[in-house]
Amino acid sequence: MQEQSTVFEIQHLNRYFGSGEIQVKALDDINLTIERGEFTAIVGPSGSGKSTLLQLMGGLDSPSAGDIILDGKSIAHMSGKELSDFRRDHIGFIFQAYNLIPVLSAEENIEYIMLLQGVPEQERKQRVQAILQQVGLQGFAERRPAQLSGGQQQRVAVARAMVSRPSIILADEPTANLDSHTGAALLDMMKTLNEQENMTFVFSTHDPKIMERADRLIRLVDGKVAEDIRRAA
Amino acid sequence: MVITLKLALRNIFRNSRRTWLTVGLIACGLATLMFTDAMVKGISQAMVQIATGTFLGEAQVHRTGFRENNDVDLFLPDTEELLQSLRELPTVKVAAPRILAGAMLASAQNVAGAMVYGIDPGAEAALGKIKQAMVQGEYLSGLLETEILLGDQLADLLEVEMGDRVVVTVSQSNGGELAQELFRVSGIFRFNDRMLDQNLAFINLSSGQRMLAIDNGVHEIALGFTQQKNTIFPWQQFNHDQLETLSWRELIPQLSGVLNMSDISALIVAGILFVLVSLGLINSMFMSIYERQYEFGVLLALGTRRSQLFCQILWEGFFLGILSALAGVVLGGGLSYWKAVTGIDYGNLEMSGVTLQEPIYLVLSWQQFTLMPLIIIVMTVTACIYPALHAARLVPTDAMRKTL
Repeated sequence: MQEQSTVFEIQHLNRYFGSGEIQVKALDDINLTIERGEFTAIVGPSGSGKSTLLQLMGGLDSPSAGDIILDGKSIAHMSGKELSDFRRDHIGFIFQAYNLIPVLSAEENIEYIMLLQGVPEQERKQRVQAILQQVGLQGFAERRPAQLSGGQQQRVAVARAMVSRPSIILADEPTANLDSHTGAALLDMMKTLNEQENMTFVFSTHDPKIMERADRLIRLVDGKVAEDIRRAA
Repeated sequence: MVITLKLALRNIFRNSRRTWLTVGLIACGLATLMFTDAMVKGISQAMVQIATGTFLGEAQVHRTGFRENNDVDLFLPDTEELLQSLRELPTVKVAAPRILAGAMLASAQNVAGAMVYGIDPGAEAALGKIKQAMVQGEYLSGLLETEILLGDQLADLLEVEMGDRVVVTVSQSNGGELAQELFRVSGIFRFNDRMLDQNLAFINLSSGQRMLAIDNGVHEIALGFTQQKNTIFPWQQFNHDQLETLSWRELIPQLSGVLNMSDISALIVAGILFVLVSLGLINSMFMSIYERQYEFGVLLALGTRRSQLFCQILWEGFFLGILSALAGVVLGGGLSYWKAVTGIDYGNLEMSGVTLQEPIYLVLSWQQFTLMPLIIIVMTVTACIYPALHAARLVPTDAMRKTL
């Protein structure tokens, strides 16, 4: 039985762009809670606010109104330095375009956040080796991103997001740039890690496979939660 | 810190062509700076050497007021003791007594005005280059009362050759009686300086003293120092209301002014170079930053602090500066050393009354190899502050518009 506790609490979250008559309500009074260990997919048509919601949850953007509370701490009014530390210590990002640092090897990319956190070298190396094994990339540690396939790069990105043991992993269309076979394999891997490590995942996606595997589906339409379905594990 | 250094070092070689072009730009700037400085030092040294080493000396002693109008009455009487004490100074290599007077020189063909110097042949040979400048005949022997040396242009004007007679007319001291003496041209010199070659004539000191009726008096004592630079001469020991001892800087203030101006010009050139190189560097860094804007957004999203990103760009500037300084030192040092050995021939160019008769040899100094590269590194890092601030102020969502 997985531990159930609230990771994210989103209260009356609004995000507007522009002002006056040309003001766009990207998010309109969103209220959500994300529980630890959930495998959540945020779905909806383009422009529905999926990416904006992930940006706000990840502390990459500030809300126009409302609050986001992670592990009991409000992130809406954090300073730049506090937000940097918050992202470093609590959020794992997986991007659609992998976004590995091209001048670092796979091993160094995975190690990067732990270096920022000041994790001792021995522990860093152990955790990197362990996660490389988990994502099936033993033997690829020294390769630079340009020497890896798209699927391998996204596995490194998943490893980078997970290795620092964040409170939540936010993934924006993680399978969009992968072929269906590679995407399915990556999804299997993330689901396994979710189940084994009780890691919380929130995806924004159009991928039906992710929607099928998610144990919670949040549908956004015009910046509002139109549907929030929890499935039995 | 380690990861910041690693990223900075690897990033500068990501676009190696741009990096090497930037390094080339900065290195050329440094090389130009080093070469210019070495050349200015070389020209300054040559001008001082030519000005002081030809005839002037590095300092001169006169009776106070003599230099204002070369009044023959203002001579230094009984100079034996003064000369002795000057020669005993460790900084003084040679002290050459002289008399000088404006004179009329007449030959069988022509008449010309000139400045006649009565000199001690031995002391002058050790001080200046009159002996080396002889193109015909012999340098003064000191034995013959009638020997006279003329500049080649003065000899042309008087239409005289070796052995011809020249009558010298001067105004004596104490009353201004005219005195005439017959001399025979014993030598013709050429300093390759129009002013000297057309206006000077040298006779023996004793002949001059006799003509001017000043017994053992002299008008001028020219001093040569054991080393040109950093000589501390005890001016206060000799100067009083009847005696003035002046360094070459005071004797030829126009040259001193030109040298000061050269230093200022070198600083202005350095300033312009720094600005140009900095602008080129800022441009290059901005290109690099704009190309990596998305990546910076990712780094910020992953939790990199703005200060860490700022430091990363500065480290990139530092490594660029180190590479540029090394390349600049090799290029600038090599070129300067080459011209310090072979010299640059200016072909008797006249500058501020000094004719550059010999090649200019560039002067290398420790500042060119330490201070200047250090300034270049500091300048490179400083020029990166603006691009680094730009990168550090990026908003992650703006920088990564594509996805998150």
